[in-house]
Amino acid sequence: MTQAAITEHHTPVEETSTGLNNRKLLMWAFLGSDVMFFGAFIATYLVYRGKSLVGPYPSEVLNIPITTVSTFVLLMSSLAMVLALHYVKEGEKNKGTLWILVVVVLGAIFMGFQFVEFREFAHLGLTPRTNIFGTTFFILTGIHGAHVTIGVIWMAFLAYSSNNGALRSDNALDLEIAGLYWHFVDIVWIVIFTVIYLISANDAPPPGMETITH
Amino acid sequence: MHRVSKLPVSLRTALLLIVPVAVGLLAACTPDNNQSTFGTAGPVASDQADLFIFIFWIAVVVFILVEGAVIYASIRYRRRSKSDKLPYQTHGNDKLEITWTIIPVLILIAIAIPTLTDIWEQQNGAPTDRGEVLSVEAIGHQWWFEFRYPDHEVITANELHIPVNRPVGFKLESQDVIHSFWVPKIAGKVDMVPLNDNYLWMMADEVGEYYGQCAEFCGIAHAHMRFRVIVHTEEDFNAWVAGMHTASDPPAAGSAEASGKTLFAGNCSSCHTTNSTAPGSYAQEISSQQARWNGWVSDIENSGIVSAPNLTHFGTRSTLASGIKDLNQESLVEWITDPSSIKIGTRMQDHAAIYKTADGKAKLTDDEISDIAKYLLSLKPGSGTTDQTMGASTGGDVDAVELFTTNCAACHSTGDDKIVGPGLAGIGDQAGNRVDGLSADEYLEQSLREPDAYIVDGFTPGLMPNWEKLGDDSIDALVTYLKTMK
Amino acid sequence: MTTNALTFPRFFPRPQSETGIWGWIGTVDHKRIGTLYGITSFLWFLIAGVEALLIRVQLASAENTFIGPEFYNQLFTMHGTTMVFLVIMPLSAAFFNWLIPLQIGARDVAFPRLNALSYWVFLFGSLIMNAGWLTGDAPNGGWFGYAPNSGVTFNPGLGMTYWVVGLNILGVASIAAGLNFIVTIMNMRAPGMSMFKMPVFTWMTLITSVLLVLAMPILAVAGIQLQTDRVYGTHFFNSLAGGDPVMWQHIFWLFGHPEVYILILPAMGIVSEVLPTFSRKPLFGYPFVVFAGIVIGFMGWFVWSHHMFTVGLGPAANTAFAMSTMLIAVPTGVKIFNWIGTLWRGNIQLNTAMLFSISFIAMFTIGGLSGVMHASPPTDSQQQDTYFVVAHFHYVLVGGALLGIFSGIYFWWPKFTGWFLNEKLGIANWALMMIGFNLQFGPQHWLGMDGMPRRIYTYAENMGWEGSNLAASIGGFILGFGILLFIINMIYSRMNKKIAPADPWDGRTLEWSTSSPPPVHDFDEVPQVKYRDDFWFKKHPETISEYYHNEHDLVVEEDAPVGADDAEEHGDDHGGHGGIHLPDKSYYPFILGVGIAIFGIGFLTNTYVIAAGVPIFIWGMLGWSMEPVNDPT
Repeated sequence: MTQAAITEHHTPVEETSTGLNNRKLLMWAFLGSDVMFFGAFIATYLVYRGKSLVGPYPSEVLNIPITTVSTFVLLMSSLAMVLALHYVKEGEKNKGTLWILVVVVLGAIFMGFQFVEFREFAHLGLTPRTNIFGTTFFILTGIHGAHVTIGVIWMAFLAYSSNNGALRSDNALDLEIAGLYWHFVDIVWIVIFTVIYLISANDAPPPGMETITH
Repeated sequence: MHRVSKLPVSLRTALLLIVPVAVGLLAACTPDNNQSTFGTAGPVASDQADLFIFIFWIAVVVFILVEGAVIYASIRYRRRSKSDKLPYQTHGNDKLEITWTIIPVLILIAIAIPTLTDIWEQQNGAPTDRGEVLSVEAIGHQWWFEFRYPDHEVITANELHIPVNRPVGFKLESQDVIHSFWVPKIAGKVDMVPLNDNYLWMMADEVGEYYGQCAEFCGIAHAHMRFRVIVHTEEDFNAWVAGMHTASDPPAAGSAEASGKTLFAGNCSSCHTTNSTAPGSYAQEISSQQARWNGWVSDIENSGIVSAPNLTHFGTRSTLASGIKDLNQESLVEWITDPSSIKIGTRMQDHAAIYKTADGKAKLTDDEISDIAKYLLSLKPGSGTTDQTMGASTGGDVDAVELFTTNCAACHSTGDDKIVGPGLAGIGDQAGNRVDGLSADEYLEQSLREPDAYIVDGFTPGLMPNWEKLGDDSIDALVTYLKTMK
Repeated sequence: MTTNALTFPRFFPRPQSETGIWGWIGTVDHKRIGTLYGITSFLWFLIAGVEALLIRVQLASAENTFIGPEFYNQLFTMHGTTMVFLVIMPLSAAFFNWLIPLQIGARDVAFPRLNALSYWVFLFGSLIMNAGWLTGDAPNGGWFGYAPNSGVTFNPGLGMTYWVVGLNILGVASIAAGLNFIVTIMNMRAPGMSMFKMPVFTWMTLITSVLLVLAMPILAVAGIQLQTDRVYGTHFFNSLAGGDPVMWQHIFWLFGHPEVYILILPAMGIVSEVLPTFSRKPLFGYPFVVFAGIVIGFMGWFVWSHHMFTVGLGPAANTAFAMSTMLIAVPTGVKIFNWIGTLWRGNIQLNTAMLFSISFIAMFTIGGLSGVMHASPPTDSQQQDTYFVVAHFHYVLVGGALLGIFSGIYFWWPKFTGWFLNEKLGIANWALMMIGFNLQFGPQHWLGMDGMPRRIYTYAENMGWEGSNLAASIGGFILGFGILLFIINMIYSRMNKKIAPADPWDGRTLEWSTSSPPPVHDFDEVPQVKYRDDFWFKKHPETISEYYHNEHDLVVEEDAPVGADDAEEHGDDHGGHGGIHLPDKSYYPFILGVGIAIFGIGFLTNTYVIAAGVPIFIWGMLGWSMEPVNDPT
């Protein structure tokens, strides 16, 4: 077998047994893995609901109106993601870049909300070391925040690529895979928003255990 | 074509041998062994053993068939020569597949039925139709067992006493790590899990002494966390309970035991209670044990106190250090001198002030240790006619050391350590200066009669009981005793 | 050939060297990575073996003072952790790496650099896990790390922190490897190889990979929770603040039981290749063996609480998990019966590989039967945490997984190296291992029934446990000598090379169709697959009608739309790793691995060290993502 014989088989196209691109399949499998990861953290949060021995308790710190705004921001970033992919596939470089940047900005705004929320909670005396609620809340939302952060960096990288022409319609798959990740992180937030904010926001302190008076 | 008679003779004998070998295997588990799960002494363990033996024989049959087929096929179909005829390239046989899927299902159903009956019989609370249930709270500590009898207000450690032919309902608890409560001859184990109280019932149908052991890895001294179960006749059990409510006779003045008692009060009594015989002492010991735990857990590195076995009527016990050694003067001296020579990793050696030495051995002379051992071995139910309510004075001589040990030591150390209340080292010197206008005598008496009047900084009011009930003589004696703490 | 205009500054040229240390550090070749996995995990195997022998010396007699409880607790913790995470899993990974591309007719795995990353992260994780031996602070809370005994309150010091940090890093390696093999097996099969024409080892690898990808994140969650507890003072498992110790057990065993199948399924796959080859007939009931594997992989998720029968979950939970546990014995039994069916009426060649595989069936059956005994909660309440359980899982993991792996080593050694292992030494190796193994773990069954708990460093003289323990200790050393003979065999056979042809065993699967050892590009020509056991039926076409006597079988299986024809439709990949790829070497997996290792060291020492890992991590990430798979030539 000569080198020439090997290169003869070198085709620029991908042929896979399933027809699904390797990297896309990898991302899907990874998201399956990440479902178990978040699932276990969310399960921990739910099992540990109401197990705190001391305050502050969820109803004393959670702010649903503000978090609703940040949730909306994150949801809109998914919309921007869809538009970005559309324009990149269409080969409209400037619009594509713009919408990727919108994703970056909305993601960053969400992170900003989370940063402010964490600081506010710390100010109210709730840290991961305070009680079970603090532990489960900060680690779960923190892990999600880390996912968002990675996504924002990834998107910023893709915005840069798009702007200088490295990301084009023929390799829009790069953006599509990042988009899969981004939508997943978004969906996970909907679940977290539901179980932490909507379901347990009314978890009040036991009588006489109030730690914060508004 | 593939009849068994075609098997080599040696193989056929081998197959025939399997049955006696299997019987031999069962027999190898000597039922007489102390923790054998076969020589059972109660219905729970014997049901479990019966179920095991039932499954075992099914397993033997499956084992013979499977291993026989493997050995038979390997020998019968082995390549005999270089002749290399290809076997028929069969892909399988669907009927066979269905058969050998269904047969295991049927076998497992056969195992599942007795399994289910046993689960619901054994794990669904103590039976109500087998006699009055004796309640016991068993608590796993690193690394010893505490037993409380709420109905009888008795507390003991490491040796569990139960009556024969009466169901015993256990509430299993732990504050530190997970332990597991197991008396193989009487019942299978159930774990003692912090924050998750568990329930177990067992019943012994033979009088005797049985071995128990912690079965869940719980740290450095896990191997040495054992206990004994002493099964009595109903009368003997009642006598034992009565004994646990009968105070020990005080040691004769000037005896080795009396000296040991003083040494014990000074060095050991912060953690070990020796006199939980009187009414009310049960609740007090429970709160003291909690206080010791709180003290330890709030300052694990430096705490001078730690949860410890109650030593009431220690002299009646047969084992030492949670079932490891036979209890006698010699072993007890060895234990007090250097616990790690018997059991490595004890909390006592880590935390008690007397072991804060270079080599970790007790800072006491041989004579002193011997005296303490003699005192402890003398702790047995006494003549028991007097009502020793909280050690209250009934006139005549009052033993201030006894009073302190019984009533105060659970919360106050004689050193600097905080338990619940402040350590009392130097109280004799400081008492006169604590409050303007009160002499040492007045301050101490006030503190006993109205504990909340002058709380030491950093301590919580409302915890210390009012000791007026002891009577004037006892309070005087205690004040005198406290003033000797320089 | 890349189209991405972004470039990342190179501080050194792309690795070219085929040999020497830089050749290994830069390699992305699945065969060399497989070799790295094999050598590394074999070294850990020897260390874990020494740990086991020290344990056996200590337990040989009652009241022995050879080693104390501190050291003993470290030994059994690290023996278990090492054998599970650093020996059986990576030894299986060595086989995955070596064999999967060869068995499916591919030139490499789907993501060669990710594959290299898995190895380096595994290596660094294993070193961090064992670093405690150097500081005298080895993990001592058991391989199961039960809270709260594994928390800082009851286990201060660095010991369990090494354990949990090491475990988290190893988890990254396992997930990456699992993802890689899922994509490889799903996407990289040779034209014509539909799912039901895949070799059974490939099938078991696929199921194992799915389990890895789904189970390891759960361990990661437990690990992260314990790690933040230990390092940052959170309260997940701190019972003093309300953290529930039972929660740890649920999370751990929800990972831990699929893990059991992660350990055993690869060995089952190996045995399913060895038995047909040396019986010279196809695997009996291929679809049933595959389906049983899938069922095991699925049901493995619903049995975890059988590790917790004595935790006090109540009679209802115990009933449910007893039922599901008994049920999972059925597909396992189906596999055993099919292996016997494979032997039946075969033309059996009893060489070393075959003896190991037949012993696998025999020993695994014993482990399975004792498993049914503690599937029943009432009997389990006497067996849980005793030597009976120790005996059980050693029959499953040594008598099962390890015997299978040894069978695979003897079977594929000629393919890996191009020369044979000596048969006489091999059979002696097998015989000593079998005698030693049974003498060591057989008596532990009745030690357990005689009430000897696990994890005790000493026992009293009057318990009647001395004889069995002594026998077990002697058995341990015989087993050790067996392993020693294997090492001697490797050296002897290396010095007296008996050259192996491409197809020494009249093999059935594609790896035997290429040279021994295979060329860098694996196959000179991409195989075209028509049959199950394609290589065999092409060698022995006269037997096709015996296997495929039902025309229907062939038609159904051939309609899988695989081939070069439809490749154009999804030619959307710009990265250049198309159907056939032979990627260039890369240092970035190693660099990224170093970055992850520094994170781990940071958790053990100081948060600022984590920051030091960040630039290295980013360097690895950016360099990797901007480095084309193949440099333009």
